[in-house]
Amino acid sequence: MRSRVLFARLAPLLACVGLLAVWQVAALTLNNDSFPTALDSIRAIPSILGDKEALINILASLRRMAIGFGTAVLVSIPLGLLMGRSRSVASFFNPLLMVIYPVPKAALMPIIMLWLGVGDLSKTLVIFLGVSLPVIYHSFEGAKAVEEKMLWSGAAMGLSAVERLVRIVLPAALPEILTGCRTGLVLALITMITSEMIARQSGAGNILFNALDMGQYDTVFAMIIIIGGMGIFLDAAFERMRERLVRWSEPQFDIPLSFS
Amino acid sequence: MNGRDATRDVLLGLIPIALLLAIWQGTVSLGLAPPTLLPPPGLVFMRMAQLLATASFNQEILATLFRLFAGFSIAVVLGIAIGLAAAVSPAINAAVRPVVRVLAPLPKVALYPALLLLLGFGHESKITLVAADALFPILLSTYYGASTVEQKLIWSAMAAGTPPREILFKVILPGAAPSILTGCRIGLVISCIVVFLAEMITSTDGLGHVLITAARTFQAVDMFVPLITISLLGLILNGLLQAVRSYLLRGFPEV
Amino acid sequence: MFVSDVEKAASMNLMPSRSDLKAEAAPAAKPTIAMIEIDHVSQVFQTSSRQDHLALSDISLTVDDGAFVSILGPSGCGKSTLLYIVGGFVAPTRGTARMKGNPITGPGPDRGPVFQEFALFPWKSVLGNVMYGPRQQGVKAAEAEAQSRALIEMVGLKGFEHFYPKELSGGMKQRVALARTLAYHPAVLLMDEPFGALDAHTRTRLQNDLLNIWERDRKTVLFVTHSVEEAVFLSDKVVMMSRSPGRIRQIIDIDLPRPRRRTELLLDPRYQKYVVDIERMFDDAGDDELQP
Ligand SMILES: Nc1ncnc2c1ncn2[C@@H]1O[C@H](COP(=O)(O)OP(=O)(O)OP(=O)(O)O)[C@@H](O)[C@H]1O
Ligand SMILES: [Mg+2]
Repeated sequence: MRSRVLFARLAPLLACVGLLAVWQVAALTLNNDSFPTALDSIRAIPSILGDKEALINILASLRRMAIGFGTAVLVSIPLGLLMGRSRSVASFFNPLLMVIYPVPKAALMPIIMLWLGVGDLSKTLVIFLGVSLPVIYHSFEGAKAVEEKMLWSGAAMGLSAVERLVRIVLPAALPEILTGCRTGLVLALITMITSEMIARQSGAGNILFNALDMGQYDTVFAMIIIIGGMGIFLDAAFERMRERLVRWSEPQFDIPLSFS
Repeated sequence: MNGRDATRDVLLGLIPIALLLAIWQGTVSLGLAPPTLLPPPGLVFMRMAQLLATASFNQEILATLFRLFAGFSIAVVLGIAIGLAAAVSPAINAAVRPVVRVLAPLPKVALYPALLLLLGFGHESKITLVAADALFPILLSTYYGASTVEQKLIWSAMAAGTPPREILFKVILPGAAPSILTGCRIGLVISCIVVFLAEMITSTDGLGHVLITAARTFQAVDMFVPLITISLLGLILNGLLQAVRSYLLRGFPEV
Repeated sequence: MFVSDVEKAASMNLMPSRSDLKAEAAPAAKPTIAMIEIDHVSQVFQTSSRQDHLALSDISLTVDDGAFVSILGPSGCGKSTLLYIVGGFVAPTRGTARMKGNPITGPGPDRGPVFQEFALFPWKSVLGNVMYGPRQQGVKAAEAEAQSRALIEMVGLKGFEHFYPKELSGGMKQRVALARTLAYHPAVLLMDEPFGALDAHTRTRLQNDLLNIWERDRKTVLFVTHSVEEAVFLSDKVVMMSRSPGRIRQIIDIDLPRPRRRTELLLDPRYQKYVVDIERMFDDAGDDELQP
């Protein structure tokens, strides 16, 4: 039984090693200049992270990501909860959100840059937009599914409407909200990378494409490993926190849902 | 829900969209933003109507749609197949689970440069990226739907003489259909987003490319048009999928 | 078995004797042969904390061809589990279950389950649900449809053929579930609290319908219920189970004339005596109470 738990813990790690091995074999058999092996790419990682400028750029990106994610979550959760509990609020916002949903948020980058310049504000705003929708959506679904009877008993105990939202709806919808935040977190990273790829100013996405333009294929693949590692690490870290917060509830998916 | 309520909901929903347009128009009319940065909405929609009448713009839309559908279809087929297999076979589950756990949170767009190097700058790399991004929501909701099909439904079919290998298609697939279609809906929106982004990053055609070309020449009007087009495309495709969904799921409660 | 025998049975509570099972001839005129034999069956489940839980302990029971046998017992005593074992859905941990002398290794169309939760296919209409079994047996579409329409009419749902399960009431769903199972002509019906979720009125109507069908076809029926009245009203034999671990406490033959009419039976002192005696036996048991 012990070994089984150990295996479950190690399985993702084994999967990583397996994927890298597949990559290694594929690169060796293809023997293509523009497709370095996994080992070569891993060897190129220290030189990227050793480059002071690149490191500062990446850290600045991460700071913007954290700010964009934080503000988006703070705004989206109350909005989603309100939409879930009030039919009017829901029908007010739903069509607007449906129109915005299929628009790629990172694609707004050129327009926003036109208005607000290329500074932190534009980049953070795009991340904010990218994170908001899934968090609103999941908070909405979570609040909608809260049992009416729980709210009735809350009202009977003399809780006001706002108190009911904070003391009953919020905790009851928490598992669903956290699912939304988990999606949002990966999305923040994706939006950040994509907008940097489009704006081509600085950051991880920019390093990636500069290397591509200059034919430094080792660097390209090393950057892919770094970004992929960030995604997997952020998701795993969030998942651990989520498990602590909602021990009482079974996770709906024990594998993460992510999308751009 | 009665008709009166429905009308009220629609009217209520139009308010923020109308408000948005009004603020947009107001900002321009009051001279708060120069038209070169923020063209008035009337101009944008006129330009859009103009472009929609040209063959070249329709070509761009078709290029985008082709990549979108190709990538989305691959994701649907692979997602449903792997999701079902992982739900019914413990061996496949043990193999798929950790791999999915690693690949799902990986920002797929970071793979795009690698795809460019391996598959070239044509359709293939973009289609692969769309498929890779749309795959996971479909796979995960198929897996979730298939592994929560009610045991008694399976038993009922077995008792009626269904051989075990047919159970998959006669009970599990239809039983998981609501969840699968929800996954497809998420996958479709993602496909819209990703195809556009891929075209923005490197392309010679498609709606994303139209936006980038306009951005290089600071043509604000032409930057809005592809964005509104992709939003409309998303709405239309979502509506179509919704129609398919309510037909396929006509027996299920709460569609 | 008469009233005095029931009292005698109550006194020898914990020793169900094998001879008891064969004590009475089935009311049908045909020769009695064993349709289902449950032979020293035990079922152990592993709980999520990985402890063994003995759900059924050494159950032996014979059900004759054409008999209507009810299983009564407190919640959690393993009634459903026993039914699933006969259905072939669950393999017993120890012992064997046999159908017409052959060991049961899996589900088959000779044993038709009717579940408490109805378990209708939500993606199929009423007609589609009922036709599923015959089609699976290789009956041609047109013929399967004709048979199914006749069955749907028999259970009183003519005109609802193209409705989906979500558009039906609980009682209507139960009728469809019964028709779906009858459609592939199982020799044995396995019914798990089929009328448990219904209101009293619908329940009475369906009980009458079920009796009519049974008196016409003389299928073998294994019927799980929580209602003593229902068990006495319907059955030739009532199997009483006790909990922790689930075992057979007593088997009682119900010697009431057939065809049975509910209104007549309610006034019949013999019927009343059966009901009261069985309830007393459960009360005396102490450790577990009978759910309504
Ligand atoms: N799959 C399972 N895993 C573990 N334990 C189980 C499982 N199925 C049933 N049990 C246990 O076996 C016992 C008998 O369950 P069963 O469902 O057969 O009872 P029952 O008599 O049908 O109860 P009820 O009248 O409430 O339907 C219960 O204690 C239950 O907890
Ligand atoms: Mg039961």
